[in-house]
Amino acid sequence: MFDLLTQPVGLTHYLIVGAVMFVAGAVCMATKRNALGVLMGIELVLNGANLNFVAFGSNFLERNPAYQLGLDGQIISLFVIVLAAAEAAVALAIVLNFYNNHSTVDVDRADELKG
Amino acid sequence: MNYEQLVQSVIGDTENSLRKFLPELILCATILLMLLTRLFAITRKILPPWLLATAGAGLAFFLAAPWVHLSGEVSTAREEIFTGMLVHDAFTIYFRAVLLFTTLLFIVLARISGLSDQENGPDFCTLVLGAALGMCLMAEANHLLIVFLAVEMASVPSYTLVGILKTNRKSSEASMKYAVYGAGAAGVMLYGTSLIAGITGSAHLPTIAWRLSEGIGTDYQLVLVLAGLMMMVGLAFKLSAVPFHFWCPDAFEGASAEVAGFLSVASKAAALALLVRLVIGFTSPPAAEPKRFEMKPAMVATASDAASNASTIPVVHTLEVKESDRQADRVAGMRTFLAWVIGVLAAITCTFGNLAAYGQTNIKRLLAYSTIAHAGYMMMPVAAGVAMMTANPVGASEAFAALLLYVLIYVFMNMGAFAIIAFIRNAIGSEEIADYAGMVRSSPGWVVCFSAILFSLVGLPPLAGFMGKLVIFAGLVDAGMYWLLFVGGINTAISLFYYLKVVRVMTFDPEPETRPPLRLRLASIPGLYVLVLTAPVILLIVQWNGLYRWAEAACKTVVGF
Repeated sequence: MFDLLTQPVGLTHYLIVGAVMFVAGAVCMATKRNALGVLMGIELVLNGANLNFVAFGSNFLERNPAYQLGLDGQIISLFVIVLAAAEAAVALAIVLNFYNNHSTVDVDRADELKG
Repeated sequence: MNYEQLVQSVIGDTENSLRKFLPELILCATILLMLLTRLFAITRKILPPWLLATAGAGLAFFLAAPWVHLSGEVSTAREEIFTGMLVHDAFTIYFRAVLLFTTLLFIVLARISGLSDQENGPDFCTLVLGAALGMCLMAEANHLLIVFLAVEMASVPSYTLVGILKTNRKSSEASMKYAVYGAGAAGVMLYGTSLIAGITGSAHLPTIAWRLSEGIGTDYQLVLVLAGLMMMVGLAFKLSAVPFHFWCPDAFEGASAEVAGFLSVASKAAALALLVRLVIGFTSPPAAEPKRFEMKPAMVATASDAASNASTIPVVHTLEVKESDRQADRVAGMRTFLAWVIGVLAAITCTFGNLAAYGQTNIKRLLAYSTIAHAGYMMMPVAAGVAMMTANPVGASEAFAALLLYVLIYVFMNMGAFAIIAFIRNAIGSEEIADYAGMVRSSPGWVVCFSAILFSLVGLPPLAGFMGKLVIFAGLVDAGMYWLLFVGGINTAISLFYYLKVVRVMTFDPEPETRPPLRLRLASIPGLYVLVLTAPVILLIVQWNGLYRWAEAACKTVVGF
């Protein structure tokens, strides 16, 4: 595990950063009570996955060149960036609508529907 | 291949693909047209959005033409279009037709019940067609990028549709819960996708299946299992399978009944189609390693050439022709694993949905739990089909056909039920079961229709739901999954009680005095709409063979024998 610190930067390092982002995002989604905080957590998760795609798609990081993701990985990450923006716009509009009706963005206060 | 040849083959491939993609193109064109007609007062008047949307969805359904493609007269061989991004086969045609038909029913329903006449009517129609487009793509995905894009394209408009009643407190809460859960599930699914694509080095489903069967990337078995489960999170969310079902009752209660009906039918059908695509995609390696697009021989867009090209497209094959036993072992292992995961998920989902439906007092919430339970029933044939793919491909194809038949029957049952709820809401402004009391005295025809639909949801003979359940359970017997059959049987018995409760309230209970008078006649436009949806539920038993033959034809090319 600790040899990673002395090795030149490779695929593993990128994957670890991606995994940390994913976990941070997941924790953020689970613990934040503010709807905007939850949305930020979702962004982190999406970008963690995105980092994976870019790292897997890079020609300089893959171990076995015959089975590399290549340009597919980078194109997927571009699409994900666009989609994340669209999704964030819609989610923010929905949160704003919730705020207009309830005067709060606390997800715990969204408790009128249950059972 | 030099540059010029590459350009030529891309042009040829695109021309060929666009012809197969026509229904979706019509949807895109309709969306654009709707945005343009809003610019001028005169076009707004002569071309109202609901009319355009009905025409667009109707034309797309007409072009999808399942009656031509599934009758066996036209060849519907598996063909990859758009350089392998999408796949066009009989399964695509069947699901595309079902989804477009549901969309058409939904737009007509929204028009009759007045939902699409409000000031945001144009936005409403645009969102519906956008969601329908995403759902069609879900049924045709052949590449992990399209899988994710299609799921998002179907989800994002759905979040907004749930919140379309802007000033309604419940509606805004429902759409926020749906959006937050949905975006989270999509994020987790994308992370799983990135791991699978990275380990196998491809995002093209047949290539992934080929590499996994060759043992490439199987050193990281733990990561693969984890990635597979993460993808299941996204799918389970779309299917509203336990434990990712929390959004479903809340979203349905907050959304208007029409939207809830659309989500329960179309969104679920698309998610099931995607589940089948992914499960089969990962576990049926093609006979030879799929070539990258630029390695394929140049293609010119003529019909004869397209036919000859079909031979270079990998044909999914069964295990008899495979040479290596180790390859067969790996594939069989994956299939058993997936069959167990889906089977257990189906059993839990079904049981939970039925148990939770008991104490509900709101009819939309009750039907939301019934939808969860039905997601469980509809996942059972997928588990059975995957379990049988190794030993009994014919049985597997029949199990998948059972799913397809049930999806179609479910369209009529659930759209009918939610349409009735929407019209009653328009009449009395309530969706509480208690307010339905004594309806039989003032509007007997409607109560008969509603009861027929509810009994069909239970699966009582001689209604359509019975046929659907019968073929599903027959598939489970073929697969030898008796434990799942047992769970399904018990659940059918449980579900009888809460559906019957609604019928009892409507017929035996005295009319509440607080309720405004309720006179619903069958000889009116809403009444006719309800009759049109109820008629197949009652009459399909006479003529279900034809539909079953379509479903069988749709599954033949998927399992590939």
